[in-house]
Amino acid sequence: MATDRQESWRSITPGAWFIGGTSQPPAPPPPGAPATPTQQTPGTPQPVQAVSTNPTPLATDEDQLLSGFRVLDLTRELGVFCTKLLADLGAEVIRIEPPTGDPLRQRGPFFKDVPHPEHSLYFMYYNTGKRSITLDLEQPEGQALFKKLVARADVVVEGFAPGYMDRIGLGYEQLRSINPGIVMAAVSPFGQTGPYKDYKASDLVLMGMSGWMQITGEPEWPPTRQGNEQSHFPGAQYAALGIVAALYNRELASGEGQYIEVSAMEALLTYYTENHPAVAWLLSQTNVGRPGVRSRMTVPMGVFPCQDGWIALGVVSAGEWESLAQWMVEATGDDAILDDKYKGGTHARQAYYDEIIAYVIGFLAGLTRQELFTEGQKRNLAVLPVATVEDMLNDPHLAVGDFWIELDHPVVGKLKYPRGAFDTDIIHPPRKAAPLVGEDNEAIYCHELGLSATELGALRNEGLI
Amino acid sequence: MMPQRILRGVRVLELGPLVALPLTGRYLAAMGAEVIKLETNRVLDDMNYIPGWQPGVGQPEYQALKRRITLDVRNPKAKPVLEKLFKISDVFITNFRRRVLRDWGFDFPQIREMNPNIIVLWQTGAGSQGPYGEYKTFGNLIQHLCGISPMTGPDGDDTPGTANNSYSDYHAGVFQPTAIIAALLRRRRTGKTAFMECSIFKSGAITVGPAVLDFQANGRFPPRMANRHRFAAPHNTYPCQGEDSWCTISAFTPEEWSGLIQAMGSPAWSQDSRFTTAADRVRNAEALDQLISQWTRGLTAVEVMQRLQQAGVPAGVVSKGQDLAESPQLQDREFYRDTHFYIPERDKPGSEWENGGQVKAWSVPIHFSETPCQFGPMHRVGEDNDYVYRELCKISPQEMEELNREGILS
Repeated sequence: MATDRQESWRSITPGAWFIGGTSQPPAPPPPGAPATPTQQTPGTPQPVQAVSTNPTPLATDEDQLLSGFRVLDLTRELGVFCTKLLADLGAEVIRIEPPTGDPLRQRGPFFKDVPHPEHSLYFMYYNTGKRSITLDLEQPEGQALFKKLVARADVVVEGFAPGYMDRIGLGYEQLRSINPGIVMAAVSPFGQTGPYKDYKASDLVLMGMSGWMQITGEPEWPPTRQGNEQSHFPGAQYAALGIVAALYNRELASGEGQYIEVSAMEALLTYYTENHPAVAWLLSQTNVGRPGVRSRMTVPMGVFPCQDGWIALGVVSAGEWESLAQWMVEATGDDAILDDKYKGGTHARQAYYDEIIAYVIGFLAGLTRQELFTEGQKRNLAVLPVATVEDMLNDPHLAVGDFWIELDHPVVGKLKYPRGAFDTDIIHPPRKAAPLVGEDNEAIYCHELGLSATELGALRNEGLI
Repeated sequence: MMPQRILRGVRVLELGPLVALPLTGRYLAAMGAEVIKLETNRVLDDMNYIPGWQPGVGQPEYQALKRRITLDVRNPKAKPVLEKLFKISDVFITNFRRRVLRDWGFDFPQIREMNPNIIVLWQTGAGSQGPYGEYKTFGNLIQHLCGISPMTGPDGDDTPGTANNSYSDYHAGVFQPTAIIAALLRRRRTGKTAFMECSIFKSGAITVGPAVLDFQANGRFPPRMANRHRFAAPHNTYPCQGEDSWCTISAFTPEEWSGLIQAMGSPAWSQDSRFTTAADRVRNAEALDQLISQWTRGLTAVEVMQRLQQAGVPAGVVSKGQDLAESPQLQDREFYRDTHFYIPERDKPGSEWENGGQVKAWSVPIHFSETPCQFGPMHRVGEDNDYVYRELCKISPQEMEELNREGILS
């Protein structure tokens, strides 16, 4: 059975729970029950007892870049990678989930294809190294607890529809009055201002609005979105940059925090500046299109079939072209490509695009991806195999830097997660799989805020956590 | 009162061409760092020559607000000058291979000796350790190593779905300043410096997403569904009036589905039992998409977007250049700014380039309430030699004259 994943960023009702195409909130947990979502289908495992065994903050390793900073994470799809990055840099990130469970936990793919809040591989990917508590931000008591948390935090990141935090009394002005040092960041599809600020979006809509789809895929395909949901990344990354900068500024400027906002559409637009569709239009009234695997940026440049898959190959300098031509002659025994007319710069070769590409395709068809990759690099040529997720997991280069880090999760067990973009001893790999729902409730509410076990039980009964 | 700049008093030395490294410097400059970009007139950055464009366009985006100096680092006589530059800098960023840096007479440990407090960010193609350590890569090809192109595109066609950009470069371009500022913060708090390596390959690889977990847990290769969705329909691009004009529509909830039906004028087919639940619609997505296309074909993409957004349905335009250049949303937020660019003239030193023109460039898309990012003009190559060498490095006029005579400062 399919679950209807809540994929857009319009969810101003935290905890709205969409299963099987209907919008039914789950039954409130029975009194005293652990705060885990109750949605189950036959054959799903029982909810896991979500009790933290670790009452102290996860990490305060002094060697981590952001050790000692605490982040309250209220993000959705567009911001969840931001808080993951902050966790990767060593910050303590507390994900605050609605009592009914995080909407992101409803997103597939699921472990063993069984939908369950502790099975969402989507949630696991984006929440490594974070802690989790549950809290109903729409109830006054929940808001009061949130303010207590804000008093002890450095950063709040939110991904609700613009205006929502203000409406529930937790906007920047309110939070600042509690903690003047707080850095608050918002990531939204189109920004907090402007005529489209209330427009709803999904990954598909954003990839289209930013124009990224217009440059993705084959010319004969419709504009195409990337399979990895690219819209999750640029805005989140800019928000992380802004937050770290604001923390640095706070250190310099008498402890004052500030408010930061990022539009995912704007962020995406900066990620393909070498095409710059707006400027191309202004300069020449032309619209940038989709060259697909056959780029004409240089000749040859693109992705071509070889004996056992696809290979990416590009030549820029005259020296590279000579090296490739020589190799092709050695491999095929056909020296037609050494003809003088093909020599010289890439612009000179544009006139012979079709002939050259036909020759290159014939050459590549006789060799495997691995042969081309290894030999190409020996000849100082950029020849790269097209990798699947399986190839990546088996990549010998990524193995050397321990790029894949195995993390154990109480429900799904051990899986490999990516380490990060950096190789340095001051940025550690993620050390903990994603948290269970409300895993740190007791640690935060009782050990930190001083609530008694009875009070915590009462909050659960009221559906607040 | 002028707003304060976050990185006031921080000086960054930038050495390297292309995309990710210059962008790193640009973000730091926008936040108030004094970024000194070290170049030579002898080899101009390829990004001055983006194919299909007027040469020099696009450069403001990569270079705005930097101090730009020239030095022929290949000449051994440049070494004492370089040493002075390392000594006055808080941060050094480069994307040259270590072998090349050594050829020029310096390496990371020596830089640390010259300035024990300097934070170093070394950008590599694939990561220096491991079999691809010295491999040659290009940004717009490296996307294919990152697992994403095989999951992009339609079913029944295994052509790797290719984005015509080097997106991994841009990922690295934002990761890097984030780590640099975090390292500055840590240095301020603990006195410790930092050496960090960041690679373009790994910057792209970490955006592969949950598909890599799905493969491990369920043995599934990510399905190629083009613009469709495993759990929601409609979810696709639809043709609209005009050449190569498309809109997107995605409906996840019952409310969004009914909003879509109403906006389309409640056609009779919408009550068809094939489309009752989300699961029904996913099963019959092909038929559903054809019916919706009949409606979108009679409208412009903007009309579809406006009608559906009014009805609470996530929908948008697949923007082309004109849409972006004229976007009311981007205009309202002053995303694009007017700025000046210079046309590279190979027969003159960069500081003497005269030709150029006005163009638009994007502003850094981080909106700070207290310390806004700066937007400002780019300088020409070598324009800041006097300021940097005389005022900051305290090189005497006589030495300057000698260095210039020998062509070292070019």
